[in-house]
Amino acid sequence: MTRPLAISLSGVPVLETERLILRAPQPEDFEAFAAYYASERSRYTGGPQERNLAWRAFCHLTGHWVHRGYGFFVLEERASGRALGTAGPYFPEGWPEPEIGWTLWLPEAEGKGYAGEAARATRAFAYDALGWNTAISLIVDGNARSAALAQRMGCWLDGTFEHRQFGKSAIWRHPAPASLSGSAEGRA
Amino acid sequence: MSATPTPVSAPIPVIRTERLILRAPHEGDLDVLAAFYASERSHFVGGPCDRFQSWMRLLGGLGHWALRGYGWWAVECRETGALAGRIGVGLHEGWDEPELGWHIYEGFEGRGYAYEAALAARRHAAESWGLAPLISYIVPENHRSRALAERLGAVVEREGSVVGHPCLVYRHPDPRGLA
Repeated sequence: MTRPLAISLSGVPVLETERLILRAPQPEDFEAFAAYYASERSRYTGGPQERNLAWRAFCHLTGHWVHRGYGFFVLEERASGRALGTAGPYFPEGWPEPEIGWTLWLPEAEGKGYAGEAARATRAFAYDALGWNTAISLIVDGNARSAALAQRMGCWLDGTFEHRQFGKSAIWRHPAPASLSGSAEGRA
Repeated sequence: MSATPTPVSAPIPVIRTERLILRAPHEGDLDVLAAFYASERSHFVGGPCDRFQSWMRLLGGLGHWALRGYGWWAVECRETGALAGRIGVGLHEGWDEPELGWHIYEGFEGRGYAYEAALAARRHAAESWGLAPLISYIVPENHRSRALAERLGAVVEREGSVVGHPCLVYRHPDPRGLA
């Protein structure tokens, strides 16, 4: 079978941080994504899910860019080229408002500050490039690691949200763009 | 960093037939899609499901184009602009090979739209994408879809299953060999 030329997602920016390259999802990222959704580590982000449902969810991440003009970046580790997870602005149907989300697919990527590095860079992208005036992060009850990161990013609790598939979440409110400039929680 | 985001696009072809336009799905399709997936009409094709799941499918359809280079179109009536259904080629996780599929929305049946769209999509898959003759997975009880597959010249190749659901695997003829 001849493989049709892949249709590229033109226009997805590439963000660079000290240790990461944040770029559009690619077909090659699916294996790491599916492995994450096969594991218990995905329990705070709608998993675990069967591989065929993980594929649908992966397609949806890519489609989000086309629909909204923004979406989850894949975090690529500069040193190794490995895809570690996702982070970015995200606004699915039914969400209370647009959020900044982050997920590390690989357990060995935890504890190194990668999620924070990516989350700060994509929050700055949402504020600077997308013109957001505010942002939230929905963090499912029990996800202590993500809640701790939200706190380190200067977020405060601002209500709750319940979703049929994802369960109960806390709404963490990020500092507004103006209050970040010049602060330690700034543009990283 | 620029002050405004660059529009993100996946160049999805537009196909015009006598009465229909096959075009990229977009967010304005959600209400019709969600109504389809809320109805019993969707029970042969993975439904029913809620609005959020319909939204996931809508975006997933776009992502499929970007990831595979082909996918499903929305089918619009040329005359009225009404959304009549969806059609396209999908290769999802758990699928054996690229599949031609179609959904017709309530009120648009019995007009030959699925036939017209399927012929165009099948030809495009062969001529523009170079895909080998396609399959269609059809639940045995879905008599309308089976009748359409047979009208399209597809034949049952085997009994199979897709993500655990038993179905008939139809094989389409190579459109390059047809008039």
